[in-house]
Amino acid sequence: MLWVGLLLLVLAILSNLLYFLRVPAASLPWVNLILPVLALLFLLIGLFRAFAQSQIYRGKIWGSVVVVLGLLLVAASTLFFVGARKLPRSGGAPQIGQRVPDFTLSDSTGQPTSLAQLFLASSGAPPPKAVLLVFYRGYW
Amino acid sequence: MRGIQENLQEFAAHGVRPVAICVDLPAVSENLRKKQGYSFTFLSDPQTEAIRRYDLLHKGAGPEEHDIARPAEFLVDRSAIVRWENFTEDIRVRPRAQQMLAAAESIRW
Repeated sequence: MLWVGLLLLVLAILSNLLYFLRVPAASLPWVNLILPVLALLFLLIGLFRAFAQSQIYRGKIWGSVVVVLGLLLVAASTLFFVGARKLPRSGGAPQIGQRVPDFTLSDSTGQPTSLAQLFLASSGAPPPKAVLLVFYRGYW
Repeated sequence: MRGIQENLQEFAAHGVRPVAICVDLPAVSENLRKKQGYSFTFLSDPQTEAIRRYDLLHKGAGPEEHDIARPAEFLVDRSAIVRWENFTEDIRVRPRAQQMLAAAESIRW
C-alpha cells in the first residue's frame, strides 16, 4: 500500500507537467487534484497497516515521512486548484452574435492600433476575414 | 501563444488574424515576441481600457495586486460581430490552436 501510495504521489507531482505537453487539457486540473488525494489515501492505509500489523508490514518511519509529504501535496494542490479557478464571471462580455466594443491600443512597437485597423491588409497579406482576440494574463 | 505561432499559416489560410492583448507595456510584449519568436500582433492595455470594456477585468490578480485580464478568446468578423468565443474556468486550461481553427472552419463567412 505504501509503495502504491508513493507511486501515485510521484505520478501526482508529474501530472502537473502535463500542461506543457500537447494533451487535451480540459480535465487536467481534476487529475492534478484527484491524484494527490488518491496517493494520500493509499499512504494512510499503508501507514495504518505498518503500525497495526508491524510484524507483517514495515515502513513506520519512512511511511510517516511520505504521509506528511502527501498531506502537503494535497494541501498545495487544493489551494492551487481553487486559486486557478477563481476567475471573474465576465457576464457583461460580448456574446456570440453581438458586436464587440471598439478599442485603440498600442502594439508592441508603440503604434496605436484600432480594431478596424486589424482588418486592413498588412505586409503583403490580404485583409483577414476575422480577427482572433486573445486576452491573456500577461508576463508583466 | 506557442500553439498560435506554430499554426500561423493555418490561421492565415482560414483568413484569421490572431491578436494577443494584455496589460503588459509595449516594451514587455516586444521583448516576449523577440524571445519567443512570436510574429503576430501584440496589443498593450496597461490602463485596462479594452479589458474593462470587454468585462474581462480580473481585479488584483496581477503582481502587487495589479488588475489584469482574465483569459478569454473572441473570433470577430469584419462587422465586429463575435462568431465564436471561449472563457476558461481554470487559468491552466486554454483552447488549443486546433480547437480555434476548427471554430474558424465551421463558420460560414
